[in-house]
Order: sequence, then structure tokens, then C-alpha cells
Amino acid sequence: MKSRTRIPTTPLLMILPSFLLAMSIIGYPILDLAWTSMQEVSRFGKMMGFVGLVNFAEVFRDPLFYSSLVRTVIWTVAVVGGTLIISLPIAIMLNDDFYGRGLARVIVMLPWAISLTMTAVLWRWSLNGRAGLINATLMDFHIITEPIEWLATAPLAFTVEILVGILVSIPFTTTIFLGGLSSLPQDSYEAAVVDGAKPWELFRYITLPLMKPFINIAIVLNVIYVFNSLPIIWVMTEGGPANGTDILVTYLYKLAFRFGQLGKASAISLIMFSVLFVFTIAYVLMVMRQEHDSADEEVKHDA
Amino acid sequence: MTFSIRKAMAASAFAVGMAWAGSPAYAKTQVNFTVAEYSSKTGPYFEEVAAAFEKENPDIHINIQVVPWDTLLQRLTTDIAGGQAPDISIIGTRWLVDFASQGIAEPVDSYLTPEFKSTFIDTFMAPSVIDGKTMGLPVAASARAMLVNTELLDKAGAKAPANWDEFYTTAEKLKAVPDTFAFGLQGKEIETDAYFYYSLWTHGGDILKGDGTSGLDTPEALQAVTLYKKMIDEGLTQPSPTNYTREDVFNLFKQGKVGMVFTFPMLIPQIKAEAPNLKYKVLPFPEGKAKATYGVTDTLMLFSSSQVKKEAWKFIEFAYKDEWRTKFDHGEGFLPVTKNVAAEKYYTSDPDIAGFAAGLPYAKFAPTIANWEEIADTTVRALQQIYLGQAKPDEALKAAAADINKIRSK
Repeated sequence: MKSRTRIPTTPLLMILPSFLLAMSIIGYPILDLAWTSMQEVSRFGKMMGFVGLVNFAEVFRDPLFYSSLVRTVIWTVAVVGGTLIISLPIAIMLNDDFYGRGLARVIVMLPWAISLTMTAVLWRWSLNGRAGLINATLMDFHIITEPIEWLATAPLAFTVEILVGILVSIPFTTTIFLGGLSSLPQDSYEAAVVDGAKPWELFRYITLPLMKPFINIAIVLNVIYVFNSLPIIWVMTEGGPANGTDILVTYLYKLAFRFGQLGKASAISLIMFSVLFVFTIAYVLMVMRQEHDSADEEVKHDA
Repeated sequence: MTFSIRKAMAASAFAVGMAWAGSPAYAKTQVNFTVAEYSSKTGPYFEEVAAAFEKENPDIHINIQVVPWDTLLQRLTTDIAGGQAPDISIIGTRWLVDFASQGIAEPVDSYLTPEFKSTFIDTFMAPSVIDGKTMGLPVAASARAMLVNTELLDKAGAKAPANWDEFYTTAEKLKAVPDTFAFGLQGKEIETDAYFYYSLWTHGGDILKGDGTSGLDTPEALQAVTLYKKMIDEGLTQPSPTNYTREDVFNLFKQGKVGMVFTFPMLIPQIKAEAPNLKYKVLPFPEGKAKATYGVTDTLMLFSSSQVKKEAWKFIEFAYKDEWRTKFDHGEGFLPVTKNVAAEKYYTSDPDIAGFAAGLPYAKFAPTIANWEEIADTTVRALQQIYLGQAKPDEALKAAAADINKIRSK
């Protein structure tokens, strides 16, 4: 007699409707995109016939695609990295009890309530060479004598855009960290203080390891948001001058809605989707293996 | 608690009912009209025309959607792709070839009575004719010209330039006036290429050569861009033109900080409102081998997918009545596209408007070719590389010409 494992049909049946719903909402656009990317598409979205991988071949022949890809990586790493480095200390400070903490938290969170596009427009005005607030302030304080044209050359413009990117990512990331900090067990700190641990040691050996899952979530979510973020760069420079600040998503937008190359644009967005998909899976696997390893280590120590 | 929920439900049921009643359910024909926003006056103006029209035609409802220029093409693209195209729309004439070749635009010859056709100025009608078919009506027109700040010229002891040599020497003199710049040069975003075409055309070049290939690899184009580059390097323009959009350059002019700019008639109402004390003069572009200006038209297009073409056309004819055209052209600062409005005293006697209109006999239009936006972007990229010093003028222009020829498959 073979022993049969009983498949629990009832629970599976019960999650089936929501699973199907989720798949159709998430899956359909991706399938549609994949289908579009293998078609010749007219300027106005009419399918003109199946062309196979011609759109992809065109993308891979395009030098602007590669420079945008490299810039996307720089943009994502710099913005996400910068955000994490700044947000963690802010969250730790806001987690401490001090007079006016509520107000301080509101001030840090407030920029979140303003749309990215509006923030970008404000920065564009502030950074204007002749009429901008930034140059006026710097000149009033005699830090500079001549106005700086912040957005005139690509390297400077891109740096400024990264800084703005960091600024707008801070509220969200700080919120994740604050949630994490408030759930940390207080007794480990008390025990460590009794054992004579210094503040830095508390941070390095208790806060940081315990915060790991929250940092990981912040990394994954921020990478996804920042990688796909159009408004800041689009509003401030439209990817210019001379395509020097184009990242994939701004280049994609230009292709789709200015040049009307919807097929090529679909191919690029499919490539972007796979890059993000591979990154997320790889990162999650890596994190899971680390946790697994450290769990193993603990077992060994115990033995 | 239950009371407030019931109240809320009742309220929402009421709202749904109202929305139902508010939709044109009483057999009213709805014409959807997408309007490009020229200024804050555009939306209210067309609402007024629509209201007057609906009064005469109570069975037709004109639904107006005002869309900013920057997002208009994207909006129309998504509307058409989603099967939600409007019945009529204002578009840039430079896009018309793309719309016509895809069968999106309806030829209007069968609607256009000889009498109605004769109201238009032929120069402006011509760009809308593709392969012998009229694909739309001119709705707005402008020609470009040079604006000089006469006060700054007097301070510098310079005279208004008539040709490029004089332009350069005048700029050198203007440079001596403190806290101002001689020539406002645009280097960022929309129409950065147009700012270069002014120089290209007057130097005797053209966007396309006779055989249809790009005109950027000609000696005239090189001469045109080298002059701009030289002026940047010698400090005769505002610093870092690649940070200056059309509006940024015009703002400098309004503030009296720049001596000479190339601009459109729509700037005049802005100057009158924002800088009434500015002393300026409208002049033709400096002459080189040729006289030229850039004529720009926008087109009113009927969609082939429309189910209400007859009603839409009725509205179009209504909106082209003289009283409405006068109001529109005056309000936005456009040049008239109909003969009756052009005959008004205002367009011949007003020195500003006459200055712009003077260029019309020798005006050049952007070629009506497919993929125009991509060609313009390629040109802008080359210009920015040259202005920034990232590429040598001749190399950048040659590379751009090759790219454009590839886009045009020539």
C-alpha cells in the first residue's frame, strides 16, 4: 500500500479567487507588454504586425540605452545608499524621547505629503541660475561670488538630482526604521548596559543586527521605487543636456510619448521589469541564505 | 452610528443619481474637443465659444478638455491607443503627417465649402495639405522675430543690427554694459533647435537638403552653429545656455538683463503685463545669405474615428466666425490665419505685431515629415554637445545628420 499525502484542497480552493485576481491584475499588463514588445506598433498604439525580437535588437544596438542603463545603476545605488545612511541616524534620534519629538517627526514626514513632481518643480526653480533661491542665499552669505548654473552640465545636474532623490526618499525610509526601532526588545539594551557596553557598541552589536530585516525591506522597496522614478529627473532636466542625465525610465518616456516608438519602449520596460525582478529575487535569496547560515552558526555555538 | 451610515449611503446614492442625470442622457450629441493650452486665457475663451454655440444649437454639447502643450502629444497618444480619441483637437502642424499617415486624421475637403475655404490665408493653409488632401485647418499662427532692448543699446552706444556681422559687433558693445548679457541664447528643452534654425536659415542653410537628407552637414549649418559657439565662448551670451529654456531667456529679457533675443509674438502681451516700462523694438532676424523667419502653425484636426463629424464641423465653422477669431488672436497674441482678421487695422498699424507679420512673405515652416520630434531631439542633442564643448561643431553636426538620415531612411 502506498501512503498518499493528502493535498489540503479546501484552503487552496479558498485562496484561489484572490490568487487569480492578483495574477490577472499583475500578470495581464506584463503579458500585454510582452506581446506589444514583439509587435511593430504605430505611433498611436495600433499593432501593425508581429516582428519577433526586432524591437529588442534595436534596443541593444542603441548606445543611448547602455549609457542610460549605467546611469540608472549609479542613480539607484547612490540614492538608495545615501537614503539609508541618512535615514538610520534620523530614525534613531526620533526614537529617543525628547521635548518636541512629535513636532520633529511631523517635520521629517511632511515632505512625503507633497507630490514628487511638485518637489521637483520647486527644486528646479530654486536651482535656477539667475533667479533661484539657492544661488541668492549662497551669494548673500558670500560663499560664492558668481551664480552657479546647477543644471547646465550633466555631471553637476545629475549629482543635484541624486541629492534631491535622497531627500524625498528619507521620510518613507525613516518611517520603516522607526517602526523597526520601536519593536526592538528593551531588555537586551538593559542587559548590555549592565555589562558596561558603550553607546557605539550598543548600536553596532544590538541595534544594527536586530534592525537587519527592516534595513533589508527598506533596500528592496527603495530600489524598486528609485529605479522606476521618473518625476525628479524629468522635471528638472528632461534627461538633458545632451542625454547626460537620462536614466532608463526617462529615456523610455521620451521614446514612447515623444518619438512614438511604442514597440521599442515596451521592450525597454520589459527589460527594466526583468532587471528589477532578478534583483529582488536574488536579494531575497541572499538574505534568506544569510539568515539560514547565522542560524546554523548559532546551533554550532550551542553544541 | 447606524444613522450616519444610512445617511452616508443615502448621500452616495443621491450623488450617483446626480451623476447619472448630469451626463448628457437626453439625446444630446456630445462633441469632445481637446484644446491645447496656449495661456491661461485659452480654456475660458473656448468655453465661451462653446456656450455661445450651444445656445444656438441646444441639441449639441461641446465637451472641452484643456491640455497643456507639454503633455498634449502624450495625452492624444494614450487616448487614441485606448480608443478614447476626441472628435476634434488642436495639434502642432508638425505632428500632422504622423496623424495623417496612420489614418487618424480625417480629410476635411468634403466638408470644406469653397466659401469657408476662402476665409483662410493660403500661406497658413498650405502646411495642412498632405498628398493633395486638406487634413486640418490652421488654428493659430506665429512668425518669429528679434527683440532688442533699445535702452541697453543706447547705453552701449550700439545700433540695432541688420546682419550677422553687425549682430556680432553690437553684442561686443553690449557686453560692456554691467550686469547684463548681450544675447540671450536658448539651450534647453522645447525649441532649442528652433533657436538654431533661425541662424541656419539666415545663413542660407535648411533643415533638409533638396534630396531630402539632413541639412546639418552643410557648411551653412557649421557657420550658423560656430557663430553661436563663438559667442558663448567670448561671453557674449548669458553663461551656460544649456541651463536656459525658452522661458528662462525671455524672463531675462523682461527683466532688462539681456540685449537681444529671438522670440515669438506671444511674448508681447507678457511684456506689456509684466514689464510695462521695458523699451524694446521688434526687428527681423539678422540677415546672412538669406532673409528668413520661422513660421509656426497649429492645426485643428478632425478625427476619422469620430461618430459626430457633422456636429463637430458645425462647431468648427461657428468658431471661425470673425468675432471669435479676433478675440482669440488678440488674446493670445497670434498672427491671424483668416483674411478678414488680417485686414484689421491692428495688424498693419501696431508696430509690434507688424514687425512679426513682416516676415511672413519669406517665412519658412518646419518640414512636414514623419518622426519630426525625434529629428528635433537629435538636433538638440548635437547642439547641446557643441554648446557644452563636449564635441567639435563639425563632428557633432555630421553625426547628427547621419542619425537623422537613418531616422528618415535616406
